[in-house]
Amino acid sequence: MSAPFNKLGLAVTFSPTGRALLKEAHRLKKLFDSKLVLIHCGKKDSQTEEKLQNLIENSGIDDSSLEITWTEGEPAKSIIKSSVHSGVDLLIIGALEKEPMMKYYLGSVARRIMREAYTSVLILKSPSEEPAQFKKFCVSTDYSSESEKAIILSHNFAKLENADEFLIVRNYDVPALSSTIMNTGNSIETKVLIDQMQVEEEDKMNLFIKELGIHDIKITAKCVFGREGWEAGNFARSHDVDIFVVSAGSKKFNILDRVFPNELEYLFKVLPSNLLIIR
Amino acid sequence: MHFTSGNITTFLLSLSIMLLSAKLLGELFNKIGQPAVVGEIIAGIILGPTVFGWLMPQVFTSLFPTNNEVKIALDGIVNLAVILLLLVSGLEVDLSVIVRERKSAFLTGAMGIIIPFILGFAVSLSFPYLMGLKDESMKMIFAIFMGTALSISALPVIAKTLMDLNMFKTNIGHIIIAAAMFNDLIGWLIFSVILSLIGASNHGLSVWQTILLVLVFTIFILLIVRKLFNLALPWVQKKFSYPGGVLNFILILGFLGAAFTEYIGIHAIFGAFIVGIAVGDSVHIREQTKEVIQQFITNIFAPLFFVSIGLRINFITNFDPVMVIIILVLAFAGKIAGCTLGARLSSMKANESFAIGFGMNSRGTMEIILGLIALQYGLIHANVFVALVIMAIITSISSAPFMKYFLRAEESLSSLLKPDFILFTDIHDKKELIGLLVNAIGHHFKINKTEILDEVLKREDIIPTGIANYLAIPHARININKPVIAAAINKQGIDFEAEDKIPSQIIFLLLTPKDKNELQLKLLADIVKLFKDKDRAEKILSLRNKEQVIGQLKLSA
Repeated sequence: MSAPFNKLGLAVTFSPTGRALLKEAHRLKKLFDSKLVLIHCGKKDSQTEEKLQNLIENSGIDDSSLEITWTEGEPAKSIIKSSVHSGVDLLIIGALEKEPMMKYYLGSVARRIMREAYTSVLILKSPSEEPAQFKKFCVSTDYSSESEKAIILSHNFAKLENADEFLIVRNYDVPALSSTIMNTGNSIETKVLIDQMQVEEEDKMNLFIKELGIHDIKITAKCVFGREGWEAGNFARSHDVDIFVVSAGSKKFNILDRVFPNELEYLFKVLPSNLLIIR
Repeated sequence: MHFTSGNITTFLLSLSIMLLSAKLLGELFNKIGQPAVVGEIIAGIILGPTVFGWLMPQVFTSLFPTNNEVKIALDGIVNLAVILLLLVSGLEVDLSVIVRERKSAFLTGAMGIIIPFILGFAVSLSFPYLMGLKDESMKMIFAIFMGTALSISALPVIAKTLMDLNMFKTNIGHIIIAAAMFNDLIGWLIFSVILSLIGASNHGLSVWQTILLVLVFTIFILLIVRKLFNLALPWVQKKFSYPGGVLNFILILGFLGAAFTEYIGIHAIFGAFIVGIAVGDSVHIREQTKEVIQQFITNIFAPLFFVSIGLRINFITNFDPVMVIIILVLAFAGKIAGCTLGARLSSMKANESFAIGFGMNSRGTMEIILGLIALQYGLIHANVFVALVIMAIITSISSAPFMKYFLRAEESLSSLLKPDFILFTDIHDKKELIGLLVNAIGHHFKINKTEILDEVLKREDIIPTGIANYLAIPHARININKPVIAAAINKQGIDFEAEDKIPSQIIFLLLTPKDKNELQLKLLADIVKLFKDKDRAEKILSLRNKEQVIGQLKLSA
């Protein structure tokens, strides 16, 4: 089984959660048997270097295995650029579950990285000084090749974690569905359609899982009807998952998505759990 | 002025007759596959001065008086109905879908407004009297009105067609819906400006001041009120009865928005529409709530409004064939050209673009409301209104068949399985059988048979494709444009490692395009569903004729 990621990047900060984040990243480094690059955005001077060194030492990590990259400029952009230059395939960042309103609209560093990074991003919403394994995984799928890749990759991840449960959720939406009632005056046809769609989705989901050929961990699949992204997030939240995995493809997000949230932006807005965005 | 017992009786009787006739004709039109709204409008025409009023003028006048308290009460109900219709139309506009599909929605929706608008505007400005201008001083507003009247689409007809084609959940379905929603939003924004310009209470505002006011109101509701509603809704759902409390809350907001826009000189319906959008966008609003509101308005208020149209006007004396033809030509040409072009520019296929063009051509409800207001304000003659109603009816009726013509229903097993691809075989080797099926397909399509056979066998090696009840579905995703299905009815069973351990005798080979994962799953699910019943599988095994096999599969589907 190949490791899901070969080179991890950590956007390192001197914030209160900085040390916990470093420990979490280091745990994943060991789990994947990968490399870890610390990316710090800020001027490289002796004082900052010392601070970073202290952070590493206080975390009890052997720094000989670490690579450190310094970058300057607008933090989100610089970190993304550095991660690409360093050949990172998973960028790890810490983020609040929910940003204050103004900060959310203006775009905090963490949220910008989620939206704009070229690599996969793991967002840890409450990193711990004593990192724990992810025991409950949840992956969102739309049956696309990207989401297939996300499932296979996160399944490998889950196997390494010796996870207890692997949930797959399909969130589908039918905009303007109830307007069909206006055309006919009755809702029976619409209700029948909703039921049919649910059955069809469940059939497809069962075949989809069979196609993937993953069976090492207990798999629970669920198809949920409702606003895309929002309902998937609710599902992850209600099942108290440790990590929620989504594929973002090459989609780019901008201010319009923040003002009128859709799909992944619902998840960025309020993190349902730790979030892994596969790109 | 007060309501006497006699007034109340007449009022209630009128309402009953309006509802009864609307329901009867609406149901009848539904039965023949047409939108109920068309039947309801025709019910009004029959009930009004065109037929019933002409045959029995005295009975008609006593039932639908034109100048007393009953008329005021009926007008009040109809006004309320229009406000509620716009509220519910707004509820269906899903901003998240418009933003998600923004490229296609914007191009299609914008072109679907710009081209018909320019066409209607230019023709009305160049030939104002031919187009039925009433007042020379209103020439510019009249031209803007005609442009707008030709630009708005009706979402319900489009949604119902997508439902019939089982395309609601598909990408193209989402794009069509998003474009129609965007079109609605922009169309009503323009119309609200016209309304305030021709309205009696525009407080002497200039065009630019009016546009500014409309934009400020829209932005305020869509940004601030939308957020506040989203925050308040969970609380309302928790603290008040459901769905009663939520319905009340939504109607209160809708009426407040309508009252506010009426007060500031933009028509009440615009406020209701924008509040509807803000409310409908909430992630907390349940589908059931929307359905209840739809039921309540569609079955009670909408029919009253549609019947009332026919009650106002004599459709025969005001029927102007030249006007009808001009409006129809402008409506069809502008909308179909605009939307089709927009869809093509957003990289959609030709057939899909035409489907969008014809789909968005349906005007239905919105068009009529627009025309009615213009008639009430004296902007247009009755003959123009009649032509607009006829155009709305014809575009609504023609939209679905054209859409269905251009949009093939999603590929299904019965549409894909041809007699040439059905084999009756007697083979004991899995690879040999799959090879035969690949060969059968290879005769008809330019495909690399060896490559495909390798792909299918490779897939088979990873996970065997035996299902149950004699069924196996070897499959692969390959470089083709359309899915292909072939089937073999084999005399002896072959072990495809089916779940029930029964050797497979009905073997479907399914080849799908590489990028259409969901289509592959859908077709697989369709086949599996057909063979859930063992008796049916045995029945198919007993057949010895290709047409019979196809017939049986179609019957089962």
